[in-house]
Amino acid sequence: MSAVQSAITTAEQQHRIYKAFDLIVIPIVTLVIIGAFHIHFMLTAGDWDFWIDWKDRRWWVTVTPITLIFFPAALHYLLWTNFRLPIGATLSCAGLLVGEWMNRVFNFVGWAYFPLNMVVPAEIIPMALILDAILIISRSLTVTGIIGSMVWGIIFYPANWALIAPFHVPIEYNGTMMSVADLIGYNYVRTGTPEYIRIIEEGTLRTFGEDVTPVSAFFAGFISVFAYFTWIGFGKVLSSTKWVKRL
Amino acid sequence: MSTPSVEMGGDVSKGLIGGKRIAIIFFSVLAVMITWRIYQQLFAWDKGMDSFEPEFQIYWMNLLYAQWIAEFTIAAVLWGYLLKTRDKNVFNITPKEELKRYFTLLAWLFCYVWIVYWAASFFAEQDASWHQVTVRDTDFTPSHIVLFYGTMPCYILAGVGAFLYARTRLPQFAERISIPFVIAVVGPFMILPNVGLNEWGHTFWFMEELFSASLHWGFVVLGWTALALGGLLIQIVLRFIQLTKLDDEVLVTEDMND
Repeated sequence: MSAVQSAITTAEQQHRIYKAFDLIVIPIVTLVIIGAFHIHFMLTAGDWDFWIDWKDRRWWVTVTPITLIFFPAALHYLLWTNFRLPIGATLSCAGLLVGEWMNRVFNFVGWAYFPLNMVVPAEIIPMALILDAILIISRSLTVTGIIGSMVWGIIFYPANWALIAPFHVPIEYNGTMMSVADLIGYNYVRTGTPEYIRIIEEGTLRTFGEDVTPVSAFFAGFISVFAYFTWIGFGKVLSSTKWVKRL
Repeated sequence: MSTPSVEMGGDVSKGLIGGKRIAIIFFSVLAVMITWRIYQQLFAWDKGMDSFEPEFQIYWMNLLYAQWIAEFTIAAVLWGYLLKTRDKNVFNITPKEELKRYFTLLAWLFCYVWIVYWAASFFAEQDASWHQVTVRDTDFTPSHIVLFYGTMPCYILAGVGAFLYARTRLPQFAERISIPFVIAVVGPFMILPNVGLNEWGHTFWFMEELFSASLHWGFVVLGWTALALGGLLIQIVLRFIQLTKLDDEVLVTEDMND
């Protein structure tokens, strides 16, 4: 292949072309990640992310980190092994938040008239920063997968606690104890989400009450480790440069 | 189409992005999307709540039919044009010409992903908000008409357009078929047929809306395929390195023994 002629002769031209390439490729990568990651996340963990009264201790804490790590892992493979760019997780999570906020503000609030308090998305940037930071420091996808993914799951709830704590203040409403989040969900009518469809912690006879969040967080971290390595594999498959003669 | 544009003179490395071209793509797509969104704001609450009313036929079903006609027409014209004006001498173009065409391909891809953003992110999650406002009485709700039958065909137009552009203008893609490029175009394309499964399942099973329901995971898997643009990016980068090498540079190729 070295027989290919070059289009240029000077280093200045080369530099200019590389910069032009960056300028057009960066928006392409960003936009496609927002789109693809958002549709993935919305249809796997979206319900918990949409509503403040779905953000519980068991399901939200478990489901979100696990399905959220798919794209960061795939992008870690693509961007780290090929370009040594340790930004896969932050890029995808920040992109996801842009997509979510655009939609929550203009559609959930602006079209369907739900209050923004009710539909604020989960905070995921701290997890992404830590995952990328562990990749930078360790320079190893394996170490990132084992340690980073574990931390990724564990810190999800703490990262969100400041956001959701005000909605967990108890109130007495018509003789029943409700959290503010419950009341918001009760008041702002959702025709497609009746109460019975809400998948949240309801208690079991084998639950030891106060441990639910940490147990769920560790479980999420543990499964995230497996999800991370699975998605490293997906990232590898999807960034293969295969050519065929005919389909 | 075999007129090499570089022979018009000038430094090949200047103006490669085509800022004007990108701006036109950016603002035209934005204008179409905002128009759809404003249309929804104006007519969804007043005319889109009951699909059995005559107003719904006028304001929403007619929009649907108009979109279908427009999409089929644009597809025929756009794809037909790209095929008709294919470069019959594609293996003999100069490196400079090839470089320029690669940037045109990137402009196509920019158009593709800019629409993908609106379809897969903005209007897709918008549908979630509309599901909370109505208990649907049709598969063609105001948000479905725009999402499934408006924005999704739009990115298919651009995605297949990008593929056809590369296939007919760039030697590498004319010679062989890039698997990641096929996946990145066909996967999101298949989201449209998957709407059939989705609506069939909703009609058959439930009217309340669990967005994470397994019925929706077809969309998820097909959304993953957009990641194959990463494979395409590497293919493009490898070719770029060859096209922009300097005389004394050691080339990095996919296979270092190459």
